[in-house]
Amino acid sequence: MAEAGAEAGAKDVAAPAEETAADAPERDPAKTAEENAEETAEETAEEAAADTAGDGDAPPAPPARRRRGLVAGAVSLFGEVLITVGVLMALFVVYSLYWTNVQANRQAGRMTDDLRDSWESTPDDGKPRPVNIGDLKGGIGFLHVPAMEENILVRKGTATDDLNKGVAGYYTEPVKSAMPWDRRGNFSLAAHRDGHGAKFHDIHDIDEGDPIVFESKDRWYVYKTYAILSETSKYNTDVLDKIPEESGKTEPGRYITLTTCTPMYTSRHRYIVWGELERVDRVDEQRTPPPELS
Amino acid sequence: MYGWIWRHLPGNALVRALISLILVLGIVFLLFQYIFPWAEPLLPFNDVTVDEGAAQR
Repeated sequence: MAEAGAEAGAKDVAAPAEETAADAPERDPAKTAEENAEETAEETAEEAAADTAGDGDAPPAPPARRRRGLVAGAVSLFGEVLITVGVLMALFVVYSLYWTNVQANRQAGRMTDDLRDSWESTPDDGKPRPVNIGDLKGGIGFLHVPAMEENILVRKGTATDDLNKGVAGYYTEPVKSAMPWDRRGNFSLAAHRDGHGAKFHDIHDIDEGDPIVFESKDRWYVYKTYAILSETSKYNTDVLDKIPEESGKTEPGRYITLTTCTPMYTSRHRYIVWGELERVDRVDEQRTPPPELS
Repeated sequence: MYGWIWRHLPGNALVRALISLILVLGIVFLLFQYIFPWAEPLLPFNDVTVDEGAAQR
C-alpha cells in the first residue's frame, strides 16, 4: 500500500512537470509578446515607427520617428557605456587600494611565519644569513618604525613582483644595498605607499630623531632618522649611495635609506628617509624589544 | 546593451535577476583575478623604487 501510494505520489509530481513542459512552447510566444510590450520607451517608439511604416497611415512621420528612435538608442547605448566605464574604474580603485592589501598581507603573513620558524629551528652561530623558503627569498628580518609601521618583513629585491608581496625589499640594483651587519654601507629599502600591503604608507609621519629598528635573528639594529627628502626625482639613484651625500653625510658609516613614492596614490616622485646606526643590541631569549619599540 | 542582455536571458524575472547576479560576480572575479593584475603595472600609480629610468622598466 505504502509503495503504491508513493508511486502515485511520484506520478502526481511528475504529471505537472510534464504539463508545464508541454505547455511551455505554447506559452512562450505569448510571454515574449507581453515582455516586448514592456520594453523600454525608445524601442517601443522604434517598433511603433516600423508598424506605422507598414500600415502606411502617416507617410511623412515614419522616417523622422525612426531616426529619433535610432538617436535615442545610440544615446542610451552611449550612456550605458559611460556607466560601465565608471563602474570599472571604481572597481579598479577597490582592487588597488583594498584587495591588493588583503592579498599582500596574507602572503607576507605566511612568509613572516616561515622566517620566524626557521630562526627558531636553525642553530645560533651568530652568523646572519638570508632565509629562502617557498615565496620567501632572501628574508633577513623585520623593520620596526614606531612612527610608521612595525613588523615589516624585509626580503631581497625591489622588483614589482617582490614588493607586491607586502614586504620591504632591499635594493640589489641600481645600487646594491649593504646589510645591517656590514661594517660600512647603506642599507637601502623600498616598499609600497599604497596597495600591496602599503607598508610605507605613513612614511610622512617619520620625523628627524625618530628611531628605525631592524630586527635580525640575533640582533636589534637601532637607527636614528637624521634626514628626510620629501620629494625627489624617481631617477635620483644617488640617494642609495654608500655615503648618501644628499643627506649631508661625507664620511663612511652605517646608514639606512627608506624609499617610496610620493605624493600618495601616484608614482610621480620619491620620498626618502635616512637614518644612521646608533647601536646594536643582542636579542635575548624572550626577544625583548629595545626601549625604542615599547 | 543591458536591456538586450536582459531580454535574451531565459526564465522569469526572478531567474533572470539571479543569472544577472551570477554574471556580474563572474565578471568581477575575472577582473580581480586576471585583468586588474595585468593592467596595474601598466599604469603609473605604484612604482616606488628609484632607478635609472625607462631602460629598467
